[in-house]
Amino acid sequence: MSTVNVPRHVLQSVIKPARYVGGEWGSVHKDLSADDQIRIRFAFCFPDTYEIGMSNLALQILYDLLNKRQDTWCERCFAPWIDMAEQMRILGLPLYSLESYTPLREFDFVGFTLQYELSYTNVLSMLDLGGIPLLSADRKSDDPLVIAGGPVTYNIEPMADFFDLVIIGEGEEVLPELLDLYDANRSLVSRNRREFLRLAARIEGVYVPAFYHVSYHPDGTVAAIRPNEPGLPARIRKRIIRDLDRVGFPLAGIVPSTEIVHDRIFLELFRGCPRGCRFCQAGMIYRPVREKSTDRLVDQALAIERATGYDELGLLSLSTSDYSELAELTDRLLCHLTPRQTSLSLPSLRLDSFSLELMEKASKTRKSGLTFAPEAGTQRLRDVINKNITEDDLLTAMRLAFLGGWKGAKLYFMLGLPTETMDDVEGIADLTRKIEALYNELPKSRRPRRLEMTVSTALFVPKPFTPFQWAAQATPQQLDERIRRLRTLLRSRSVKYQWHDTDTSRLEAILARGDRRLGPVILAAWQRGARFDAWQEHFQMRIWIEALQAAGLDPDFYTVRERSEDEIFPWSHIDIGVSQSYLLSEYRRAQLAQTTPQCRDACSFCGAESFEGGICIGR
Amino acid sequence: MAGEISVSVGKNKEAEKTTVIRMRFARSGPPVWLAHLDLMRTFERSVRRAALPIAYTRGFNPRPQLTFALPLGVGLATEDDYVDLTMLEPIDPQSAVDQLNLFLPSGLTVLTGGVVSAKDPSLMSLIQAAEYLLEGQGISAAAKRIAGLPQGQPWLVEKNQKGNMVTVDIRPLLMDMYDESLDRLFIQVKAGSKSNLRPKLFLDALVRLGGLNPLAAADTAITRTKLLIADGSGGLKSPLPRSGAFRQR
Ligand code: SF4
Repeated sequence: MSTVNVPRHVLQSVIKPARYVGGEWGSVHKDLSADDQIRIRFAFCFPDTYEIGMSNLALQILYDLLNKRQDTWCERCFAPWIDMAEQMRILGLPLYSLESYTPLREFDFVGFTLQYELSYTNVLSMLDLGGIPLLSADRKSDDPLVIAGGPVTYNIEPMADFFDLVIIGEGEEVLPELLDLYDANRSLVSRNRREFLRLAARIEGVYVPAFYHVSYHPDGTVAAIRPNEPGLPARIRKRIIRDLDRVGFPLAGIVPSTEIVHDRIFLELFRGCPRGCRFCQAGMIYRPVREKSTDRLVDQALAIERATGYDELGLLSLSTSDYSELAELTDRLLCHLTPRQTSLSLPSLRLDSFSLELMEKASKTRKSGLTFAPEAGTQRLRDVINKNITEDDLLTAMRLAFLGGWKGAKLYFMLGLPTETMDDVEGIADLTRKIEALYNELPKSRRPRRLEMTVSTALFVPKPFTPFQWAAQATPQQLDERIRRLRTLLRSRSVKYQWHDTDTSRLEAILARGDRRLGPVILAAWQRGARFDAWQEHFQMRIWIEALQAAGLDPDFYTVRERSEDEIFPWSHIDIGVSQSYLLSEYRRAQLAQTTPQCRDACSFCGAESFEGGICIGR
Repeated sequence: MAGEISVSVGKNKEAEKTTVIRMRFARSGPPVWLAHLDLMRTFERSVRRAALPIAYTRGFNPRPQLTFALPLGVGLATEDDYVDLTMLEPIDPQSAVDQLNLFLPSGLTVLTGGVVSAKDPSLMSLIQAAEYLLEGQGISAAAKRIAGLPQGQPWLVEKNQKGNMVTVDIRPLLMDMYDESLDRLFIQVKAGSKSNLRPKLFLDALVRLGGLNPLAAADTAITRTKLLIADGSGGLKSPLPRSGAFRQR
């Protein structure tokens, strides 16, 4: 075992050196000399900066879960920023963990959490800096097992070459079994890595990409995906926790000393989302909705608040308003937190009078910003995407907001949604104008002095495991034209317009629905210098286009091509519970602009009921 | 509204009831790399974890009332820094120190504490001088060289002042310097809000005028070893007596 010693002049020269030194309150340090108690060293890797990675709840949950094991020490590692990576290369310093400064290559497990596609090249940077062969096929017996989990692993195919195994579903369920297996078969791992992977692949929710063979049709679509080892399932089924009240949750957590992106405690209310928006991958892959009980949440909140010293607690879920006892929960939380000078932040609220009152209560002194996500500008298109918000809802909410003293709101939309026309785009401007008119009609004494609206448009990226997995992405030309149109229409002193870059969304679309042929492309792009692709200042589409061309692949094949109903997707062998037939029926309903009720109003038997948990049962 | 945030003690009525505890602290290890704002945040959270009866500032965003003596640059260790904590109720300084130590991340340690008068001027305004220990290869030789420059010759270095590079003479800011042993150099410099010499600027002078290797300068370990305030009779003293009796209200 060795430790990395970073010279002072390196830390003096890089920006935010606190990223690279660890030592935060709550970070776990174990004694390696104690009678060989620690048999498994696990490096939890987040392929982006410290500030982003430390804001991720999955990291805190799994760090806590793994470190509760006597036989395991889980440490953390983040992607060093460009300046640090360069210094490390110059000096030959390997990438190291923040707890014990151990080089990555000396761990038993190097586990990545993958939250978005544009972090893929950072995975390669981290492996390379850590001294680990990039390709799974090149790794030897003394290399760590490189594993991955997180939302984008539901279609890990573009990154399949780089991981030894992938966890499909919730890590809290699978990791303990995997670690037990590893501990029991330690000698096998060093003797015969492949044999160990064979055993691991028998754990439900473990996917070993190398054990599945993919063949293609001449047109580039997938012909078949088959296991090439006996005894493996044809499809890998995701694992979930049935009862969230029974799973551990970090009651202390790591408290970063330096400022991070979401610098607060997170309280996870529930997993999944009952709404069924057709563009939303999280809404499908995390089904079914599983709530934590109010009692348990209040207990956890108080314990975490005391143990961390944070002065802000944020509720976390895909749609806070859908928590069934939100009023009771927030009352109880506020009653405990307010006297302790701790504020409550409430993201993802539906805008209605209850929410506004709640926000008023939660932040007594300051008006926090209102956000609202109609996603589309016309009722027709909102029906297509199954986003259950009407113009009336929006205007009523805005009226209440103005009367309550809010100066405006930030509205989120998507451009390029399936079936979108210029009318829908103009609908965004119409909606904004109606809000301006509403403001102007209010008597001066009853409205805030100035109106400040922000309209933000993201670009639609079709994602696997959604009803829109068959849909084409709009062309860059179409998208640019729609953005231009909005820029002209939204010229107003009280409206600010923000839009996303088309190239970034294009790359995201390629990787999201990509197949294994993209592995060499990602490698080539990384070799040509692609890093931190999620960061505008580093993203270079040119590199990616060149890499695709070199591999003989056409970006349009992945982006603007509508898939036929019987196409075999690169992710067909992954089973999230929600059935293909349900997704297809949703896709067809979308084209007819027919809405589907949310889980709580009527079950559509999407397939997730097969997990026998959450709101699908016991209704 | 804006401007309501009260950080200096002794200005509002509540100050009558509050107790100000001055704590002397040290930092080494990972926390050395925290910027001043990060250090403040870390202390605030530690105080909250320790459940000390801390007073809060008013205004939009209430924060624990802590005031630091003099910001510490990124990368600097310290053996002698000070923070004033305004408490809502009388509390034994030693038990506050013990309690806080249980909740500080490793590398941050509170050494002593004492009650100071809430009517005293702010800690920051009292600071007059600081002493630093510089440890790095070639420091002693470089120091000898600049000390040997003719009397009256300014020691000019470039300094970033609000985005502009300006040339300043640091010689008048250096009060004393001596080698404790080879390449362990102590310097005593003016510090505080009126005139302040940052040790990194002094290292720049060693590079520019004393021939210190720039890489060695960047690798030099810097520790603040003393912060000093006026003793009222022309001399300097510690903001807290090192041990024994503290001034009581
Ligand atoms: S089975 Fe029904 S209730 Fe369960 S997630 Fe699917 S639609 Fe919702």
